Amino acid sequence: MATENAYLFFDVPGGRLAFGDGDLDIWAEHLAWCYHMMGVGDGATVAVQDFGSSPISFLGSSLLMPGLRRGVAERIEGRFICLDASAERVTLTPALLAQLDVDALVIREDVLELLSAELDKKGFTALAQRTMKTIVVFGDEPAPCNPGRFQPSRHFMHVENALLLAPQCVKCDCFHLREGFYQVDGRVIRNLRLAAPAHDLSRGELFSPSHCAAGSGDWCIGWSARGQGV
Amino acid sequence: MRDTTSSYTPNDAIETLSGAQLTAWQTDRLRQVADHAYRQVPFYRELWNRTGIEPGLLRSIEDLARFPTISKQDLVQAGSGWTNPDQGPVAFSTRGTSGAPLLVWLSAEEEEAYIQPTMRGFRWAGFRPGMTALLMSPVWHRLAACEAHAIARLGGRCAFFWGSMGTEFTDSFLHTLSSQRPEFITTTAPFLLSLIKGNTAATVQPHKLFKGVRSVVVVGLPLTPRMREFLRDRLGVGDIFERGGTQEGAAIDECQHHTAPHVHEDVCYLEVIDDAGIQVAPGLRGRLIVTKLSTAGSIFVRYDTGDIAAFAPGQCACGCGFRRLKIYGRPESSVLVGDRLITAYDVRMCIEEDPALVGRNVLLIREANARAGVLTVAVEGEAHDPAELQERLRRQLAVAAANIVWLGDLRVNWGFRQVLDAREIPISRN
Repeated sequence: MATENAYLFFDVPGGRLAFGDGDLDIWAEHLAWCYHMMGVGDGATVAVQDFGSSPISFLGSSLLMPGLRRGVAERIEGRFICLDASAERVTLTPALLAQLDVDALVIREDVLELLSAELDKKGFTALAQRTMKTIVVFGDEPAPCNPGRFQPSRHFMHVENALLLAPQCVKCDCFHLREGFYQVDGRVIRNLRLAAPAHDLSRGELFSPSHCAAGSGDWCIGWSARGQGV
Repeated sequence: MRDTTSSYTPNDAIETLSGAQLTAWQTDRLRQVADHAYRQVPFYRELWNRTGIEPGLLRSIEDLARFPTISKQDLVQAGSGWTNPDQGPVAFSTRGTSGAPLLVWLSAEEEEAYIQPTMRGFRWAGFRPGMTALLMSPVWHRLAACEAHAIARLGGRCAFFWGSMGTEFTDSFLHTLSSQRPEFITTTAPFLLSLIKGNTAATVQPHKLFKGVRSVVVVGLPLTPRMREFLRDRLGVGDIFERGGTQEGAAIDECQHHTAPHVHEDVCYLEVIDDAGIQVAPGLRGRLIVTKLSTAGSIFVRYDTGDIAAFAPGQCACGCGFRRLKIYGRPESSVLVGDRLITAYDVRMCIEEDPALVGRNVLLIREANARAGVLTVAVEGEAHDPAELQERLRRQLAVAAANIVWLGDLRVNWGFRQVLDAREIPISRN
């Protein structure tokens, strides 16, 4: 579990991720699994609007990181569009979506409003909804439901300092804590594959394994019962 | 090509070629690229058929000038017609400062070709095995994606700060700087300037955090000599190096002599042409035209970047025979004053002759009276010797008159933009 001889360091909110030889491929495989759980199939074109130090970005392809033999693009035999989450770049996204059929747009929750406004401004809302699945990435818990806001197809839980990546399953709508990657002890979630702080789940409902056939050994988190945005 | 009397140590076979050998090598690569583009990319086939060009015409490097130049608009309009079957799985966006952004694709084969010059540039900038490098986000630019690969192959460690290159992330950058203690940094010049400006009142001064940093490699702004000194001295780092390139394939890096960045001749063939499409002599400015020497990734053959650039005349004292190119700006970082195109770089050069004004951010203002030859410039901070500066700008830039807007305490989010429309600066002129 401890990362030996790390040579890649990513500062993330509340901590740091360190990776050595072989580490990145473990997480790229997990991220590809997450996409499958969210209904993103092989051969998909995935556009990610996130910062470069987020694993959702840097695990996107072996072209982005040394030591990553097969990133998400190579594993799903798809394509990966780098869209950085700075405000300057978010304003460009509508024009890019008009140029290319994207199967999934993965976007940080904190820039979602800006993108929605840009899509509205440029008259691209219909286009965006017609051609792609939108996946909104949130941290500790999803934002409250806002009917006036852009409605995503799926959500993706990502607690950065714990490298906790839990996809919203297309079968049960809950967030899967994949068996072998995370251990649940009470409401504490531990990363089994990387030296990272445990995450204390403050809200949400935990379901023990066998809750969902899509991952029978997984623990699941449900948010809908709390009236959250998912 | 290479000055055999110099102490320059080439690392790649391409650097050992004579001038004639390099030209022959590049001509061969250009022929392969043109042939591939004609066979595989409908956009080029149709364009060249329309203009009576076919790849067999390319017998010498001079023949490339017979091929038409293309623009970003051409490629956006071409859509899927511009697709290369070997374009690869990863795309980056251009910044859209000159109209619609363009998605540019990168393949493993092409990236492999670009990692070598990145390693070369980093060696020139002083990177050594065992160092830690604080790098730009790998999703920011296709050249940034090569950086971590280059550092790993050179035997170094890579660190990344959280966020992006906007001013709101300078604290995040400083946090990683203080915890990782890198010896080598790649970043953008506007970001460094914002960091210096934003921390003048902070308890921890930037130069303390930069202690131990030997080299900073910057992109995003052509460095003036005084700007380089300012950054180096204010940050207390060993040296500042200018690195440049475009998503469309240009790649340039400075050596320690800082005369102008060297072109990485193994990955791109660059031309500088005038408005009539004729190549201009070294030392003269023109528009930068890029041809990528790879059949992988997105294909660019005689792509007109719109950048204003000039090759440096003569040989560099470092002994490397690769040509040197200074990119001064783009149409969107310039204003037409009368019939003269004035770049933000030109204005900064002039302003920085006054030591009190070095390091201040400068913006060109696009105003209606520019047609009558009036240059309007906004300068950060309080006024300093305005009459002298107005006269210097008028004289050196050969404009009818110069107006200066002193921004005082006005907070401006300094980014890559170097030109604003008049309505974006809501204060009166001096």
